[in-house]
Parts: sequence; C-alpha cells; structure tokens
Amino acid sequence: MLPLTLLNTSQGHPMLVELKSGETLNGHLVNCDAWMNLTLKEVVQTNADGTRFFRLPECYVRGNNIKYLRVPDEVLDIAREKNQQQREEQRKSNQPQRGGYNRQYTSGGQRGGYNRNRGGGNVGRGGGHLQRGGRGGQY
Amino acid sequence: MENTDPALLPSIIFTTAAQLVDCVDKKLLVVLRDGRKLIGILRSFDQYANLVLQDTIERIIVESMYSDIQRGVYIVRGENVVLVGEIEPEKEDSIPLKEVSLDEIYAARQDEINHRRQRELTKNSKLMDIGFSIDTQQEDMY
Repeated sequence: MLPLTLLNTSQGHPMLVELKSGETLNGHLVNCDAWMNLTLKEVVQTNADGTRFFRLPECYVRGNNIKYLRVPDEVLDIAREKNQQQREEQRKSNQPQRGGYNRQYTSGGQRGGYNRNRGGGNVGRGGGHLQRGGRGGQY
Repeated sequence: MENTDPALLPSIIFTTAAQLVDCVDKKLLVVLRDGRKLIGILRSFDQYANLVLQDTIERIIVESMYSDIQRGVYIVRGENVVLVGEIEPEKEDSIPLKEVSLDEIYAARQDEINHRRQRELTKNSKLMDIGFSIDTQQEDMY
C-alpha cells in the first residue's frame, strides 16, 4: 500500500510528526489529504531542541513542512488487512459482472471469451517465434 | 547487459522514484537532509519517493562510534531524502564501527557540534580580518 494510503489508515491513531524545522508534534491524527496536510488533536508540540513543550488541543499542519511521520506498528497490519479486503471485494464484484455480460449478449459467450483469452496468451508467450516469422503474417 | 527480449522492459527506463521497486522488502539505509540515518525495511514508496519503512532503527554515527535507537514505522516525506542504499545482509555485521551506549554517543555528538561551531567561528573571524563579509552560515549536516 502507498505511503499516503498508510497515512489515511492511521486516522484516529496516535502519531509523531517531525517538521523540517526539527519541531515535533505528538498527537492523534484526525484527518489528512493527498498533499499530506494533517489535522491533529490532543497535541504536544516540542521545540527543535527538545527543551520546551506546548499542549495544543488541535492543530493543522501544511504537508510541505513535514520531514517524517512515525506511526504505530499496528497501523501497517491494519492497512494490509484493509488492502486485502478491498481486493477481494473487487474480485467478487468483477467476476459475476463479466459472466453476466457474456451470458446475456452472446450464446456460449463464456466459452468463447475463455478461448480468446487463451489464444491471446499463447501469442504473447510465443513472441520470439512471431518476430522471426513476421508478426503481420500471424494476424 | 544486453537485453534482446522486447517483452522485458530494460531496467534503465526507470530513472526516477520507480527505481525503488528493486528495493521493496529489502533493508535500506536512508539518509535524510538533516543528517539522520535510518535503517529499515522498505515496504512501499510513491512518485515523490515518500517512503514507508518498517522496523526502523535510527543510527547515530560519530567518528568511528555508533549507537542504534529502535524507532518502528516511518513515513518519510520524499523531499527530505538524500540517499537510499541497500544493505547487504552478509556484510551488515562486519562494519568498522564500535557500538557504544546512547549516553556516550550523545556526548560525542555534542563534542563534535561544539568543535565544529568553534572552528566555524575561528574561520569566520579570520575571513573578516582579511576583508570578507560573512552573512550566512551554512552547514552540511550529512
């Protein structure tokens, strides 16, 4: 999963954000976007030296100021799980649709489709032969 | 290496962040613009070279000493990355550095910073003496 997807799944989790200036923000992620802009709540801000601390009820960070984020280890597992779930759902929603289409509009469509695909696969795999024999001839 | 099979894309066409595909799930050293060195397993990246590192340690190196801090999962914003290097697992344990405690490394780092600052001051005053004006001080951290 992409870095920003992981950031999205971190919503509601505690995290540490270090800014380019060296300041750090410890808080719970409320929201984030594609530019890495963040809103955090229950934040402890620490200055670059680590000598002073400020408690902020909430804060907004413009993404470009971020150096890095540290998130809890569990978030990676959660993100992976979600990713897998999504893929499975996609597969489930894709398969019946294709079958339905073929059944509706062509007789024996499913078989035809299957064979067509197989043929395509063979052409692809035999690429070396085709080149020697001339690709145009085959088609 | 010559690549004669047109079905295989030659790897040289990936000249940007996409080169990182080879590094996924491998242990990497990442150096940041502020001089930090992170060692972790690359789990994912995007077109900005934003990185996700798992089981990361931060390694502080001063002269020939080093110390590691366990850090966990990082999302590094790509802009801050200076370099990414793969670590060979076989050679990982034979580095010519001595591991010391965190207290020791912090003390050594402070010494180095003080020393560098002192040298900078001396250099600047010398430069002033011979007629240069110094208006910015820029340090390479890495």
